[in-house]
Amino acid sequence: MTTDDSSAAGVPVGEDVREAHRRLLEHIRAPGSWWSGAQRVASAAESRHATRCGLCARRKAALSPAHVEGMHDTLGTWSASAVDVIHRVRTDPGRLSRSWFEAIVPAGLSDGEYVELVGVVALTAGLDFFARALGIPPSPLPDALPGDPSRYRPASARAGTAWVPMVACEDATGAEADLYEGLAFVPNIVRALSLVPGEVKALQRSSAAHYLSVKDIVDPAARRSLDRPQMELVAARVSALNRCFY
Amino acid sequence: MHGAESDAGVSHGARLVAFAEAVMGDDEAALARERAALRGVLSPECFVDVAGVIAAFNVVDRVADATGIPLDDMLLAVSADLREQLGLARFASAANTPGCR
Repeated sequence: MTTDDSSAAGVPVGEDVREAHRRLLEHIRAPGSWWSGAQRVASAAESRHATRCGLCARRKAALSPAHVEGMHDTLGTWSASAVDVIHRVRTDPGRLSRSWFEAIVPAGLSDGEYVELVGVVALTAGLDFFARALGIPPSPLPDALPGDPSRYRPASARAGTAWVPMVACEDATGAEADLYEGLAFVPNIVRALSLVPGEVKALQRSSAAHYLSVKDIVDPAARRSLDRPQMELVAARVSALNRCFY
Repeated sequence: MHGAESDAGVSHGARLVAFAEAVMGDDEAALARERAALRGVLSPECFVDVAGVIAAFNVVDRVADATGIPLDDMLLAVSADLREQLGLARFASAANTPGCR
């Protein structure tokens, strides 16, 4: 049973959410900017595997993850640095640090490859937590689509605001003209993955399907069947448990 | 405690928090119990929305913390009291927002 047939468990997932999940899985299995479809599906699989990794569990229980050494339990398809990114973003994102990032990227990943991995791992976590909440199995990962990554990097991406370069709102022109969908205020969370524009679109799709569209977030009257205070209470508790300041 | 006095002014607030904590935790029995309890007080559509919000913020939190984005200036200004009340500066990721500690 998956999101697509969750009605069998009396869970009426709307067609809008089911369609969004189908599109997110299509996104995961398609070639990206820096990784092939096979690599992207493999990163989603590795992120699921991370939830059973002994090293990740010990690190999460430790006062500091840096004090626990060892080897990740891995599916074996990724480099050590990529495995560390996938596992830590999946299992302990609130304790990632700039010093960790600045060590891991030169060790074998480009900043674009890193951003794309973050996007796929985060989307996979979202899909998996949705299924866990409903009490249904996570969606099976799709077969990868063939093709090469585009190796497209927005020329207007600039370093400085975050750990990774981002495209500023005023620089979103040309191929990036529709990146922020004409938003009057573009919060940093929307720009965070802009080094890989396809991941920005997927993040917006995830937000619209599960929470609110980015343009509606600033409207206090915007809501779903659940009322807005209920939505914000759940969001705040989840973010606190993830130890996310943002 | 799941009475109105623990709901912080939000309808079924305590149940919602308990369910979110169970989904984020690893106690499967607690999760099953809280899921059943929440489904007992919410419509099916609202229950699915709760799952959606949990999903959305598990995506957003990971993206924010893995890219090191700071809290936007506009949000920083309006959230100072709330951040202090909740003690959010204790989170490691607060280091990405200069001046918040």
